[in-house]
Amino acid sequence: MRCAVLAAGLTVLFAQVGSAQYPVRSGQLLRPSREIVVGAERVVRLERWLLAVESHEPGAPDEPATTIGSWSNADLQALWVDAGSLLVLMRDLKRATFSVRVGAQRPVGVVYPWAQLRRLKVLACAAAGITDDPQCLSGRAAEPLDPGLAALARHSAATRKAGDDDNYVIRRAALLHTDIATMRLARTTEPAASPSLVGPERVRVALSDGRDLDVVMAAIHWEIAAMILDHVRPKGASRPNPAGDDMVRRWYRATSAWMQLNEDHDTLHLTRGREIFPTDPEILFLSGCQRETYASPGIQNAIRTAVVPIGYSIDLGSAHAELRRAETFFRGAIARAPDHAEAHLRLGRVLGLLERHAEAAGQLRIAAASLTDPQLQYYAHLFLGVEEEALRQYEAARDEYTRAAELYPRAQSPWLALSQLARRNGDRAGALRAMDRLYALTADDPDRGDPLWMYHTTQARGADERLDELRRPFLAATRP
Amino acid sequence: MSDPSRTILALSVGVLVMSAAGSAQTPSFSVRVESVRVDVLVADGGRAILGLQPDDFEVLDNGVPQHVDLLSFDQIPLNVILALDVSNSVAGERLQQLRDAGRGILDALGKDDQAAVVTFSHAVTLAAPLAKNLAAARSALTAADGVGETSLVDGVYAGMMIGESDAGRALLIVFSDGLDTTSWLTETAVLETAKRSDVVAYGAAITTSGNASFLRELSSFTGGTHYKVESTRDLRGTFLKILDEFRHRYLLSYSPAGVSKDGWHRLDVRVKNRRATVKARPGYLAGPS
Repeated sequence: MRCAVLAAGLTVLFAQVGSAQYPVRSGQLLRPSREIVVGAERVVRLERWLLAVESHEPGAPDEPATTIGSWSNADLQALWVDAGSLLVLMRDLKRATFSVRVGAQRPVGVVYPWAQLRRLKVLACAAAGITDDPQCLSGRAAEPLDPGLAALARHSAATRKAGDDDNYVIRRAALLHTDIATMRLARTTEPAASPSLVGPERVRVALSDGRDLDVVMAAIHWEIAAMILDHVRPKGASRPNPAGDDMVRRWYRATSAWMQLNEDHDTLHLTRGREIFPTDPEILFLSGCQRETYASPGIQNAIRTAVVPIGYSIDLGSAHAELRRAETFFRGAIARAPDHAEAHLRLGRVLGLLERHAEAAGQLRIAAASLTDPQLQYYAHLFLGVEEEALRQYEAARDEYTRAAELYPRAQSPWLALSQLARRNGDRAGALRAMDRLYALTADDPDRGDPLWMYHTTQARGADERLDELRRPFLAATRP
Repeated sequence: MSDPSRTILALSVGVLVMSAAGSAQTPSFSVRVESVRVDVLVADGGRAILGLQPDDFEVLDNGVPQHVDLLSFDQIPLNVILALDVSNSVAGERLQQLRDAGRGILDALGKDDQAAVVTFSHAVTLAAPLAKNLAAARSALTAADGVGETSLVDGVYAGMMIGESDAGRALLIVFSDGLDTTSWLTETAVLETAKRSDVVAYGAAITTSGNASFLRELSSFTGGTHYKVESTRDLRGTFLKILDEFRHRYLLSYSPAGVSKDGWHRLDVRVKNRRATVKARPGYLAGPS
């Protein structure tokens, strides 16, 4: 049974992920072959990819991005293997043998026949910006570069000279695949099917209104970007060490937020982020938000009824289990950042759902006292009202609901809460008065809206700006 | 009725006494007759038994026999509230069939009956207020759009409170084809409200939907019936069946005597001296929780 991992947005993603000589993330996959031989067309494709990495303008849906985005999953799986080999070769030009390790299985050999290996070295020299290295000047590795590769080599060398080692290709390649994923340029029409190649796999289940609608193989651009960033070698480091790199940290923060903003969650993505940055409060916070979302009725119900391809299983717990996971992550975030008011808010909500009302109220009071954003204040008052009600502090509950209603008078939830609170206390007239406010909200009122409907994306509200920030140093105007 | 603070016979009497000297005092007082209403369906072999009188019934409130008044079913106009799921999962042919079912109900109402339409996706909307003029309700059915998530529990509460806003005999018909994904209120809270309410709720849910337990409990606590709908093709028939059944119910009322005021009141309704199946709500909740 392959291990499948949930991700979603009101898509749910089941992924099987392997690794090529890097830390294994998750999954097991039985393969019939212990060795794959790489044909010439794959090295040609790798070269096209390198040229796309060089010519893509970060943030633009340009021709290089659309071209790579059109590649099939088989092409991308091959790229995942060959790009990994290229990155190894960039730092060890004498390397002649390669392997891919998928899950806990023994490594699968990746064999590049002599001609392919020779071309691979040419590409590695250009990508690393070391065309003047003696090993690159010797033998066939010194063959002339076409203009695109020459430009790549020049820019990479300039980056190296500026102190960022050979990370030029790594960072730009990660941004290319990030852009393909975030700009929806990836090919997504392939049906879910049994895999035939070595490499990561993703099966995406689209959800709507608490049910699954469609199952497709998803392109693996996030996997490729993450794999490539695993090779970042920070300034002064002798080995790849993504944990020591600020861009990688910001990439995980920004991309995880983007996924949540677009309801396109990916469990493995944050799992990998936590492996690299186990104490980062923002990554822990987003991890908690993801698990809180997984506990929501829409996803829980869809997972119960979803039909996934044979061989996949779902790494998703019950609502209670997911809330407990969320609690752990939020507590981790608060331990590292005690002033993280939004983490207090979320922790309070989660504790309330776990029926630990006194603890929940404590967290929510901290949040309510320090949050200034009206939307977050609204959540704090509404959720605190629930906890006060559970603690039988009805006056306090009514005050909290009223505050929420004052912040967003066209939101329905506070009126429902006030009405139900009055009704349970025998105040029918009060219950009807509150409902009159709800009944006055018409369907065609353009200003009608309840922040509660956006609760599961609010935490990621700055995601697009974070991505822009990430791209800025790599725009044409700032290129070395 | 489940809440003794509500009366169906509330009598306010204001007495104005004016002295010859012109000093005006306006003493007033109100008299509240606390009354409990119970909608009852009596059947034998699946056929409704009609023509029963108050003395034919025996009502026990927490085991204590009560004196029953009977309000005949044909004397009290109906307030029919349609609470309809118009979320994304309903879009398309199912929505057309839902509209048709709703129109079927409106066509079958009498001139003194009233109707309201509450729609719910993630948003809960009173699409047509309770009124004898059914034009707004018809328009609401036409305008219904299958978009968004499902706030079933909130929608049920909104429908129930429409029923409580009027002293008439309220029938709440709830249709949903999906699981609740976005409600603010909890099922427990709304079921508790149902135990306090006079409204009789009938649920119609697609058999594959995940919300059957909530609607089943709602129907059970209010004395209604939960219908599992195989296909919305027959939804019109289901709705009309609900209305027909409701019209054949007796409305009993009594002023509770010999029982404590607050808390859960278990109800036993029986028909004396004949074989019959009696369907009524199992009890009511009174006083603050």
